[in-house]
Amino acid sequence: MPLPCPPPPARARRGRLAAALGVLTALAGPAGAGTLEVLVSDGAGKPLPGAAVFLESREAKAASRPAAGVEIVQSNRQFNPAVTVVPVGTSVAFPNRDTVRHHLYSFSPVKKFEIKLYVGTPAAPVVFDQPGIAALGCNIHDNMAAWVVVVETPHHGVTPADGRLSLAQVPPGSYRLRAWHPSLPPGAPALDQALVVPASGNTQTAVRLAGAAP
Amino acid sequence: MNPTPDDTPPAAPTGWLARGLQRLHPRRQRLSGRIVLVSLGLLLVVQAAGFVVISESIDRNAHAQLAERLSLAERVWHRLLDQRATKLAQGAAVLAADYGMREAVASGDQDTLRSALDNHGSRIGATLAALLDTGLAVRALGEGSDATLAPALARAAPQLAQHPGSGVVALIGHTPYQLVMVPMRAPALIGWVVMGFPLDQALVDDMQAVSGLHATLLAQPMQGATALLASSFKPTAQAAPLVGTLADGDLALAGEPHLVATWPVASGDDGRILLRLAGSVAAAVAPYRGLEWMLAMITLLGLALFGTGSVWTARRVTRPLRSLVRASERLGQGDYDQPLQHAGRSDEIGELSRAFDHMRISVSAQRQQIRTLAYRDRLTGLPNRLQFRELVQQAIAEGAHTGQPLAVVMLDLDRFKHVNDVLGYAFGDRLLERVAERLQSVVRDGDVVARLGGDEFALLMHRTDADLASLVAQRVTAAFEVPMTLDDHTVDLSAGLGIAAWPAHAADADALLSRAEVAMYAAKRHTAGAQVYDPAVDTASALNLSLLTELKRAVAGNELRLYLQPKIAIATGAVCGAEALVRWQHPERGLVPPMQFIPFAEQTGFIRQLTLWMFEQTAAEQVALALLGVRRVSVNLSTRDLLDQELPEKLDAILRRHQAVADGFCLEITESAIMDDPQRAEATLNRLAERGFKLSIDDFGTGYSSLAYLKKLPVNELKIDKSFVMAMEKDAGDAKIVRSTIDLAHNLGLTVVAEGVENAAVLSLLHELNCDEGQGYHMSKPLPVDQFQDWVARWQARPPVAAGTPAAQRAGAPLLH
Repeated sequence: MPLPCPPPPARARRGRLAAALGVLTALAGPAGAGTLEVLVSDGAGKPLPGAAVFLESREAKAASRPAAGVEIVQSNRQFNPAVTVVPVGTSVAFPNRDTVRHHLYSFSPVKKFEIKLYVGTPAAPVVFDQPGIAALGCNIHDNMAAWVVVVETPHHGVTPADGRLSLAQVPPGSYRLRAWHPSLPPGAPALDQALVVPASGNTQTAVRLAGAAP
Repeated sequence: MNPTPDDTPPAAPTGWLARGLQRLHPRRQRLSGRIVLVSLGLLLVVQAAGFVVISESIDRNAHAQLAERLSLAERVWHRLLDQRATKLAQGAAVLAADYGMREAVASGDQDTLRSALDNHGSRIGATLAALLDTGLAVRALGEGSDATLAPALARAAPQLAQHPGSGVVALIGHTPYQLVMVPMRAPALIGWVVMGFPLDQALVDDMQAVSGLHATLLAQPMQGATALLASSFKPTAQAAPLVGTLADGDLALAGEPHLVATWPVASGDDGRILLRLAGSVAAAVAPYRGLEWMLAMITLLGLALFGTGSVWTARRVTRPLRSLVRASERLGQGDYDQPLQHAGRSDEIGELSRAFDHMRISVSAQRQQIRTLAYRDRLTGLPNRLQFRELVQQAIAEGAHTGQPLAVVMLDLDRFKHVNDVLGYAFGDRLLERVAERLQSVVRDGDVVARLGGDEFALLMHRTDADLASLVAQRVTAAFEVPMTLDDHTVDLSAGLGIAAWPAHAADADALLSRAEVAMYAAKRHTAGAQVYDPAVDTASALNLSLLTELKRAVAGNELRLYLQPKIAIATGAVCGAEALVRWQHPERGLVPPMQFIPFAEQTGFIRQLTLWMFEQTAAEQVALALLGVRRVSVNLSTRDLLDQELPEKLDAILRRHQAVADGFCLEITESAIMDDPQRAEATLNRLAERGFKLSIDDFGTGYSSLAYLKKLPVNELKIDKSFVMAMEKDAGDAKIVRSTIDLAHNLGLTVVAEGVENAAVLSLLHELNCDEGQGYHMSKPLPVDQFQDWVARWQARPPVAAGTPAAQRAGAPLLH
């Protein structure tokens, strides 16, 4: 799967931009790769921002490539973004933009690591080499939390404020549509529902995360 | 207020009052005592009522306070639990946040987990420490925790998860635990840390220390008996009743009443845990005990004050009462001069005292009036007999002190009854007033004139002996010689005066008065104007005073004897009658001469009994004497007999009793007896004459009777007084009197009897003078009846000799004894 031509830094942000552009291009794009729009809502039916959404299939797995230039910034004693979806093998940098030190850790089996009391950008980024969800915290600031959803597909994203996520250039086919949100009960797996992307045209679908709350 | 006859006037008027107050006297103690008792009793009642109310209020308050403390204690309990929960939560939170612990959890190393749980649990003293996974399954228990608790903990977990960080009491097995569960985040929830304390002895002790109430935890399983878990009672056996009964309220614990309240602490499928709090009622009441003591002290102080006050008040009442009692006693004794105390007080006591004092003055005045009435003669205003007697007593008392003599003159108007009868009582009264005036004008200053009653007056002369009194008496007599003119009537007054002096004639007032009276009667008898008392003529001398009693005894005891002295017809010498005389055969004194008791009997009135006795004795002998030829017996009547209106009937009765006849009696009356009250005497004599009694004037010639008067009387006989007869032999004057008397009597149709014929010469003379009958010692002295009969027999048996036989012929005649 061709990724939009990238200058590697600020990949994630551009990704969103690209996705937005993708919606536009999908209207006039070549047949065979449509745009998928997913609306994620919580148990109360309200649009749910910050939900990780990704499509799984064998083809998608095969097409998965590590992303580059992914950062989770610590600023204002918060992780930003809080939810990040990366393909397996992606290296994620954790630049500390705060003046205080942070002690980054993850006890998640997907990726256990610890970056002790650092400032600035740590020397070595963390490579998430297994699919799954890693919960990241700061041992100094208990209220700091971030989640890295490691997937084996190029079709993924995080819902913006309106809960609507567009995935461009999704080849037609059968997929498992997965959706996850931090407010789901601890240890709960990502929602898994079947999705068929038709050969032509754009696809719209909705996901309702019953156990989640904004 | 009138004096009773028995009481002396002064004592009587206030007697009732004195008795009334004396009745009060024995109650005095009780009156003041009662005032004190009532005051103290009422105070006690009030205090006791207050005490009861306060005591109940204290009890109620203590209960209410206790109940409030109990309900507060529930909050204390929760606060205690909260504190423990906080401690637990902090411990759990520290553990949950511990990086190493989170790492250990992430690593899944069971041993590390357990030791870490144990380590943190022991830091805060938690006996239970556990790690639960996000699915609330027990992942690890602290090394010190009982592994068997795991299932129970798992059951309790959902409840705990609902209140993360706060304490929850849950039954773990059969033990109540206070549990706290906090999440462990990394940073997402990766598990739960649970820490717990059992609710044990330490907690209930804490509870007791903080709340002051005993705390007891009970386990009440679904099945099986309630069990005691822990109790602050030491030993815990004292809490046994709390297990026995689950009802709240009063319960005796450790031997003391307690108030009990119960709250469920926890409940589960196995049963529930109860917290029972017990507060000691005694302890709650204790702070009030001081109040009660204070109240008791106030009561005691009040009792003392009230006691003192009421004793003082009672005394203020009873003291004046006592003084009133004393005052009434003084009044009772006749002392009216002392004014009452307390009259100045303005209260009721003062009122009573003033009323009492008013009564004292009023009674005193009335007493004075009564005294006047009692001591004054109303007609003349002179002292009466009573006062005169007292004055004499006083004078004697003074005389005994000063040694001065005194004299009493007693005075009785002659013929005053006659004046009364003829001129009326009103006139008589005014005459008495004039007499009083005249007496007062005659006596000396300081002498007392009194009217003793009727026409009797008396004079008391101080510092006067009998001689001096005689002089005064003569002045009185002289004063009476001037006739009194009253309402055109001129009345000649005369009086008999008797004089007696103290100490010459008597030792006391009564004897002195009595002797003056005796002297007065003597004066009247002898028509001497005034007579000084002469013991020789006193028929009321000491010897004779006892005679009255003895005389009465003599009549009853047959000590009197009837004596008869014969009368003979002088012409024939035959016995024609006898005079009945009385002799007294005294058991000790022997024969008492008539002169020693007849005058006395006359004076006392006993003569009437003697007369009747003589009459009866004579009547009894009438038949026997008649057989001897003694056909008529003379019996003497005294003045008193004549004045006795019932005498004729009494004589009738005796005659009937003895079947005697009136004709066989000759009743002899002295002139003076008739002249005392001529009218009445005449009436009596007429009635006697009607019955057939012969009547004789005795002692003729000694009195003042006029022949004109005698002529009116139904008299049959004159008896010439022996004083004339005995002397006629030698005294020509007397002989002439006898002769003219005989002639006079014969001319009036009366027979004449000569008394005192003591010798034949007299008898012969009498014979010559034609005297009808003779009586005297020449024939016989008075003889007892049996001897008289013998004498009569002898006399009749004598050869008949004319009484007029010359004396020589009869010399040595046997009748001369």
